[in-house]
Amino acid sequence: MSDFDRLDRLRGFFHTGETSVATPDCLDEHTVAALADGTLDAEMRSGALTHVATCALCRRAIASVAEALIDGPITHEIEVVEGRRRRRGPILWIGVPLAAAATVLLLLWSPADDRSSVHRGPPTSAMTPMLRSPVGAVAAVNDLRWSHVAGADRYRVTVFDATGGVVFATEASDTVALFPDSIALVPGASYLWKVDARTGFDRWAASELAEFRVAGPRRR
Amino acid sequence: MDPWVAELRRGGVDAAWDLFLDQYRRLIFAAIRHYAQDYDDVMDVFAHVCESLRDTDLKRLRSYFERPSHSARFSTWLVTVVRHLTVDWFRHRDGRRRLSTVAAELPPLRRRIFEFLFINKRSHVESYELLKSSEGLDLTFGQFLAEVSATYRAVASGRRGRILRELGGPAPQVEDVDDEQVGASERRDELEEALSCLSPEERVAVELYVVEEMPADRVAKVVGWPNAKAVYNHVYRALAVMRARLSTLDVVGRPTSGRI
Repeated sequence: MSDFDRLDRLRGFFHTGETSVATPDCLDEHTVAALADGTLDAEMRSGALTHVATCALCRRAIASVAEALIDGPITHEIEVVEGRRRRRGPILWIGVPLAAAATVLLLLWSPADDRSSVHRGPPTSAMTPMLRSPVGAVAAVNDLRWSHVAGADRYRVTVFDATGGVVFATEASDTVALFPDSIALVPGASYLWKVDARTGFDRWAASELAEFRVAGPRRR
Repeated sequence: MDPWVAELRRGGVDAAWDLFLDQYRRLIFAAIRHYAQDYDDVMDVFAHVCESLRDTDLKRLRSYFERPSHSARFSTWLVTVVRHLTVDWFRHRDGRRRLSTVAAELPPLRRRIFEFLFINKRSHVESYELLKSSEGLDLTFGQFLAEVSATYRAVASGRRGRILRELGGPAPQVEDVDDEQVGASERRDELEEALSCLSPEERVAVELYVVEEMPADRVAKVVGWPNAKAVYNHVYRALAVMRARLSTLDVVGRPTSGRI
């Protein structure tokens, strides 16, 4: 019997469907949020856990909020409101006219300066993203990680299924992208993914394709 | 300080609300969509969340800032509040107005089980007893739990699976009900006895990791342990202690040993 099977059996043993009723001792939303986020100080945490140990209602609330806090869209919006990430919208509104203006400038600019006889070779591995995880058989896919490319200001991530269909696509400015919980990967099926790094205007350096497959049912 | 908070402190409630909504609308929607997928549900819950947050001159939002200290970030607190309001909205709506369309498509017995568990918030044991006494249910508790499990599977596989889990809790595993003479409440009593020998941290870790299926690194954050490895160590050690405890109970005739 696998560990997952054992845990499933154990889970059934714990669960009897008893429903807790809220009591005056139940945690307020501030404490639930701090516990789920791991930001409660040690003394308050100790007191709160004494209650949580015997209250299924508060335990469910903590588990539910903790799960929400690793949901891709929520994580993204939290980063936006806390100023750690900019919204995609305004970038598009500003970026598209800027890109158009740059295109016009390039067209007007004589290519006379581009006289170098040295042909630019294919990008080396240091200039392309190296895919770090997931690669090969993995237990779960919660995020996608790759190496930094010097000068890259944006990365485009694409995950394909075995038929070449796009399962997931996103853009990131860092070298990690959260894989949304809402996308169900089929255990045992092969997936391919790649990252394109933007190294200049309309210039992208593509990684090699990497294959991965999820060994068992996805656990969060 | 966020502009909406500054505005609120200046007394401009309406302007503060507009600024708040402008800044946090997307986060609120993302949190609602985590639990609800139907467009109409999402919009109705959003209206309910706005109404609650705006009530009494933004009393709920003020309550965050009027605390002497903040253990939780505002964004995390807001997600928690939205989760609470969303679950409340579904419970209120489904409890009062109608069964969900999923439940309406279930066979009669499973629809009744859905009503008892998800809408009336009865436990499995209570539901079983009520169905037996009032509706002449002729099933053993084990057979009943098989129906409960099938009901959970039917409703959780739909688009509303996540919110239904919030309303009804995790599904039972019927394979474990191999002795139908042992009632669910008795099993819980035995488990309580075994859990009582753990510290609160260990007990919360075991329940979050095993029952709620939280990833070990998140459990570590909740209970204040350094990493996922500490959770694995603590949980497996705790389960060994519980196994020993349940074996002791077994000596006095309770058929529980060997399950953990």
